[in-house]
Amino acid sequence: MADFKQERILVVEDESHLAEGLKLNLTLEGYEVRIAADGSSALQQWKEWRPDLIVLDIMLPQIDGLSVLRAIRLEDERLPILILSAKADSEHRVKGFSYGVDDYLAKPFNLDEFLLRVKRLLTRVSWSRESADSDAGGTSSVPQLYRFGSNTIDFETLNAQGPSGRIALTEQEAKLLKLFVANRGKPLSRDKLLEIGWGYSRGTTTRTVDNFIVRFRKYFETDPKKPVYFKSLRSVGYVFDHDSD
Amino acid sequence: MSQSKWFLHPILIFVSSIVAVGLSLFLYIYWYLEVSTGLKSVIERASLDRDQILAPQTWVVILVLSVLVGIILMGIFTIFVYHQKTIQLYRLQRNFISNFTHELKTPVTSMKLYLQTFRKHELSREDQLKYIGYMVQDADRLSDSINRILSLAKIESGVYEDRFVAEDLVEVVEHFYEKNRPLFGRCEVTIHNPSGRSFPYPINLVLFEMLLMNLFTNAIKYNEAEVPRLDVRFEPKARGLHIRFEDNGIGIPRSEAKKIFRKFYQIGRAEDMSAKGTGLGLHLVESIARFHEGRVIVESKEGEKGSVFSLILPFKFPMTGSK
Repeated sequence: MADFKQERILVVEDESHLAEGLKLNLTLEGYEVRIAADGSSALQQWKEWRPDLIVLDIMLPQIDGLSVLRAIRLEDERLPILILSAKADSEHRVKGFSYGVDDYLAKPFNLDEFLLRVKRLLTRVSWSRESADSDAGGTSSVPQLYRFGSNTIDFETLNAQGPSGRIALTEQEAKLLKLFVANRGKPLSRDKLLEIGWGYSRGTTTRTVDNFIVRFRKYFETDPKKPVYFKSLRSVGYVFDHDSD
Repeated sequence: MSQSKWFLHPILIFVSSIVAVGLSLFLYIYWYLEVSTGLKSVIERASLDRDQILAPQTWVVILVLSVLVGIILMGIFTIFVYHQKTIQLYRLQRNFISNFTHELKTPVTSMKLYLQTFRKHELSREDQLKYIGYMVQDADRLSDSINRILSLAKIESGVYEDRFVAEDLVEVVEHFYEKNRPLFGRCEVTIHNPSGRSFPYPINLVLFEMLLMNLFTNAIKYNEAEVPRLDVRFEPKARGLHIRFEDNGIGIPRSEAKKIFRKFYQIGRAEDMSAKGTGLGLHLVESIARFHEGRVIVESKEGEKGSVFSLILPFKFPMTGSK
């Protein structure tokens, strides 16, 4: 079997004792483990280290776990993520699952149960990986080709067609557009857009977000002054919506 | 979505009921005047004695109506204010439960994890000792949380009344620091007493140490500096003794400076759960200060690093000479 490669697990947990305990156990089970103590380092390690599974805490400093989850889900729908949280009520579980988590375990948890769930998640991924080799792409919840009104966005080639003609999108623009499409009709605050779209929470002004919105309006609105798709919500942020066709 | 409908918003209800009451006052007076002028003309036509029928003056009627409406308005306003307070308290309570749950569950989770690990695996003695150390710390954290909530309950119910002993505050702080030094890790704590004198003040030692513990740990907890620093300064001033706790931590935004002493209050967004801790620490500090007839204020140099908590005690200087 292809067991040469150790499976990698990223533990996102800011309580050092807990993080170390998880690392200890997962290492004893034969996984390669790294720890991220906050949201931004979690996103960074997810990109650079490419783990096979993420164990995610929700209450994190700066960028919280749910934002990390949403940011990852914009680009990778398949990566198994297990939330480990002190928030155990169904309201939080439902929220987690609606953002695309694979499993949810409440603290304090049973060690054996945790390890078995991790193992199961990894096994299932290995199955889908075998069958996925044939159908490429499609790892995101957002379709490759997205149409709204007379506009078309191709997330594969990063090209878009708007009233002003053909537009080549930057990576960051595409990412933000995906976020809007995935949250169609739901208001997104500037802070959330920054956290999920850029992966940082402090030190940057929300002006960055505004600039992107200005650009999107220029690309996709017939009259950028009177936006139809990218609407501002006073003191909240922005909402993207359109009539379904 | 648990958002209530906009027409049920308390402010809207409040405003519309005020408008309704105001409008009804206007209509009462308007109709009253109308009826009374009608009546007047009838009286004149029937040439009856005017004073007999229209004895109650228009004036008095308007005045009485206005007073009554005024009372109703005040009633509405009071109910509105209470309602808002209740909602706020409810929100804080929810926040508290969620944060306190986290505060209690985290050490329990950690302890359980290590205990289960010990049951599952044979670890080296060295590792065992390390993880047992963690568990002891977790147990301490847990008992801290429990003590906090219990002592707050005790202060509020007045159990600590009349257990005051006069102690030199400088000595108390120094002794406290020596005793708990390991807890403060690499934090550099310096105690300055430029006047060189002693400050005997009647305190309840248990509570006073709790106050110190909260201020010290806050200075370290909310600190991102390479070397956390805390300077404790004793400054005798005309109106009392100021004990300043200056740290180089992350500071406190001015808009939050008053709110942080509220019970269950925490800086941070409850919505995404970025706030941590019990939200009791500073409320406890303030309660203890008030218990000692003092108060606590906070200054924060925003932009600059750090915040300064000052404990102000009504110290009477002429009473004691310098040592």
